[in-house]
Amino acid sequence: MSADARAAESTPALRCRGVHKRFPHDVIALDGLDLEVPAGSFFGLLGPNGAGKTTLIRSVVGLNEPDAGEIAVFGHNALGPGGAPTRRIVGYAPQEIALDKFVQVQQLLELHGRYFGLERRDARDRAAEMLEQFDLTNKARAYANRLSGGMRRRLLLARALLHRPRLVILDEPTAGVDIELRQDLWSYIRRLHADGTTILLTTHYLDEADELCEQVAFIRDGRIAAEGEPDQLRERFGAPRLEDVYLQLVGR
Amino acid sequence: MTARGARIDSLRTARRRGLAALTEREAFRVLRLWRQTIVPQIIAATLFVVVFGIALGREIREIEGVPYEQFIVPGLVLMGVVTQAFANNATSLYQARSDGFIEDPVTSPMAPRHLMVGYLSGGVLRSILIAVGTLAVARIFVEYPIERPLVLAATIVIAAIGFSALGTIVGLYSTGWEQQNFTLNMVIQPLAFLGGVFYSINALSEPWRSLTFADPIFYAVSAARYGVLGEAEVSPWLSVGVTTAVSAVLLAWCWVLFRRGVGLRT
Repeated sequence: MSADARAAESTPALRCRGVHKRFPHDVIALDGLDLEVPAGSFFGLLGPNGAGKTTLIRSVVGLNEPDAGEIAVFGHNALGPGGAPTRRIVGYAPQEIALDKFVQVQQLLELHGRYFGLERRDARDRAAEMLEQFDLTNKARAYANRLSGGMRRRLLLARALLHRPRLVILDEPTAGVDIELRQDLWSYIRRLHADGTTILLTTHYLDEADELCEQVAFIRDGRIAAEGEPDQLRERFGAPRLEDVYLQLVGR
Repeated sequence: MTARGARIDSLRTARRRGLAALTEREAFRVLRLWRQTIVPQIIAATLFVVVFGIALGREIREIEGVPYEQFIVPGLVLMGVVTQAFANNATSLYQARSDGFIEDPVTSPMAPRHLMVGYLSGGVLRSILIAVGTLAVARIFVEYPIERPLVLAATIVIAAIGFSALGTIVGLYSTGWEQQNFTLNMVIQPLAFLGGVFYSINALSEPWRSLTFADPIFYAVSAARYGVLGEAEVSPWLSVGVTTAVSAVLLAWCWVLFRRGVGLRT
């Protein structure tokens, strides 16, 4: 293995150092947060509503501007206008379903691919591929606002993955999704992870995190309260389930 | 730094593709909604030509030696350009923000300048289509020359860029639809009507005549009138110059907002 390859392997997919974000009315969302997500891992970020999960994720993709700290994706700065180039390698599926209602589903995916630098033909081919992957081919000419909730959730995921990101951030991707679709989504995400993509997941389903994630971090009041492999954490906290660790660490 | 499995393209190429896609998306929106974005304004301008120019024009006959129905055509064109450029971008930006789908381009590798140019393109396209449509339909009812086509074209494009930028600014600051309607109905429409679309400022008494010189839309109307008729109330250098300066200021303001992420990032 070359020195470059070894360096690339040891560079974390996401590294956050002292990230601080204060919103108006003195709401501290992130309070000097430190976090490292290893390259190629399936990483779960867990915590109650308002703990800072979404604020952190939105900071990584450039939708929030932290007041202090550093965020790097595969060693590249991800903050401010200078961080924009880094976003080519990040895929983001937000918690809220927000899809352009003025364009058809296929066009929506193609536009996304081109926003992220794919050439027109590549974006078209990739959109067709993702529609097939997520069983949306027969909705290619539909408008997103005419799709069912489950279809929109799948489309959101297809969009996040379209430009072949190295780090995929999924903010509660299975919220409000039925069991069948959840299984389908996870089987696809697992395959993606097996191919080497780093997955950063937030979820309130702790059994899901326990089953899927190689490492998890618990976030409380804008800081990481504990992190490690689920087995290690269960052992460290003497808890039979990840849910019990959660309740000890961040339960109210 | 590359996406896995993708061909390695330079950042500049990637951003250029992003800009082309955003421009296409904004143009697509304008064209898909043509019954709302293009047709009503052309019909409104045509009605002004018919009612004011042809029906009432028999009473007014001439202004500054120009038949009245000819006199109002360039002003109507510019009125459509400024109001629709503003309305397009204020609506498009605010809707994309309020529905959340603006996050897709904002989280892309595009720089603030690419986002700004992409969003401005919709308003500029809509304005140009309305200007061409208004000129074409007005021609059915009124014979008019186009004495200085380059001045007319430049004025339309410069005003379209400036007022698209203003619409973008309002769209970025807005927290509700009423702010855009207020700006359009209480600021831009009155300035357009008082900008000499239907009358010559030489017919105004003081202080109204002097006040009109503070109306930026007056200069755009005057420049368009020079482009169509070859004459206007003020020098074409002054009218094109002021229109350009106002648009440049609005564009700079717009760029600062994109750069700072106002309305895009928290």
